[in-house]
Amino acid sequence: MARYAMAIDLSACVGCAACAVACKLENEVPPGVSRLWIRLEESGTFPDLSLQYRPEQCMQCADPPCVPVCPTGASHINEDGIVLVDAETCIACGACIAACPYGARYFDERGFVGKCTFCEHRLAEGRVPACVETCPTLCRSFGDLDDPDSDVSRAIRAAQRVDVLKPEQGTHPKLVYLNAPARFGLGREGMAR
Amino acid sequence: MTSTTVTTFYGAVNNGAFWHWPTLLHFCLVALAGGVALLVAYRALTSERFGWRLPALSVALIALDMIVLWAESLARWRLTHVYLFLSIRPASAIWWGAWGLAGSAVLGLLLAFGWGPRRLWGALLVVTSTMALLYPGLALAANSARPLWTPLLLAFMPVTGLLLAWGLALLFRQRDLRPAVGVLALASGLLGGLYLVGLATGDLAAREGLHHLWSEGGPWFVAALAAMVLAPTLLRRYPAAAALLVVAGAVLARTLLVEIGAYMPPLL
Repeated sequence: MARYAMAIDLSACVGCAACAVACKLENEVPPGVSRLWIRLEESGTFPDLSLQYRPEQCMQCADPPCVPVCPTGASHINEDGIVLVDAETCIACGACIAACPYGARYFDERGFVGKCTFCEHRLAEGRVPACVETCPTLCRSFGDLDDPDSDVSRAIRAAQRVDVLKPEQGTHPKLVYLNAPARFGLGREGMAR
Repeated sequence: MTSTTVTTFYGAVNNGAFWHWPTLLHFCLVALAGGVALLVAYRALTSERFGWRLPALSVALIALDMIVLWAESLARWRLTHVYLFLSIRPASAIWWGAWGLAGSAVLGLLLAFGWGPRRLWGALLVVTSTMALLYPGLALAANSARPLWTPLLLAFMPVTGLLLAWGLALLFRQRDLRPAVGVLALASGLLGGLYLVGLATGDLAAREGLHHLWSEGGPWFVAALAAMVLAPTLLRRYPAAAALLVVAGAVLARTLLVEIGAYMPPLL
């Protein structure tokens, strides 16, 4: 069994949103909601200005707060460590949406809760997630954390800085950010390493 | 030139309201259903004269609550709610709530029809109705990323829920509930005050949450607490006015906490 993870190198991300478009198309995400979005943050005072891009999505937490609150077991972690929603047993109660610290879940109008699946259907075919395949700057790395030779393991080892969002929540995200600008980091979120 | 931070997004962020007015209504109806069911249990255990009306009312309230939830649910035509009862999920507050309401409905029907051992059903109904009363607080307090849904709601929600139900019962000549309503009203006010103090003295997220609560409806929340604290002084001479005050206060406080409490501090 794998322990899939993703790393996004913020020093290479240009905010083109190709990943967001690819995700929307690949997963037929309904209008008005997103599995993946890009945060653009402008800050500072001229001439000391900063414009940062940060793609955000489900953090695929190792300890996801969205799973235990599910009353039917629809929210679950599969054998590869991916947090998924079984649409057949989901009652769309919204408990998992309330529990997610990252706003990564949404009500799908078809009657269940939607979220990033790391493109599980593509992994089954031996392919990487659509956002990884599409990224023109190759800022996304994906693979098995337990495999030291996987893309994601190598990218994390080579990074000067590794951050996760909201580490104080204790969710242990398996989506990490690499090389965030040292001066600004990830805002109030602390360093993971 | 002042330093500012402007955050925009490509792609919608799923941070809008996820529970709408039917859910707010549900959080009041489940309190009424659980509170009336607990009253039925109390009567079944202590009264010699026990009629069918009160248990029938508790079942009707549960049915009304279920209809509201069903009408609101995006999964209403998929019948997936059966999985609530086909799985064992003790870590889920909603699972406990579902079993609490289902058990209360069955026991309420048995008591309304006078079938079986009344005192045993009454004792079991204490358990199931308490589960129904506890579940909203459990469901909210489980969300640690939302600073306004603090662990104090584990106490505040069941106490205000019982106050709401028994306050309403006062209007229907259940006069022996006056002392209990007085205690519940004071306890609600006290817990509400502690809740605000806890936010004010909490971490950064808690203080941001308090600021959000205050700007979005804080004065109304304080007014709701004041109504509940004031009500006991009116209980002896003006019981109906006191009952109306506690019902209004409990409904308002619960609704604000569910609606405004969904706030989550922005990621930087």
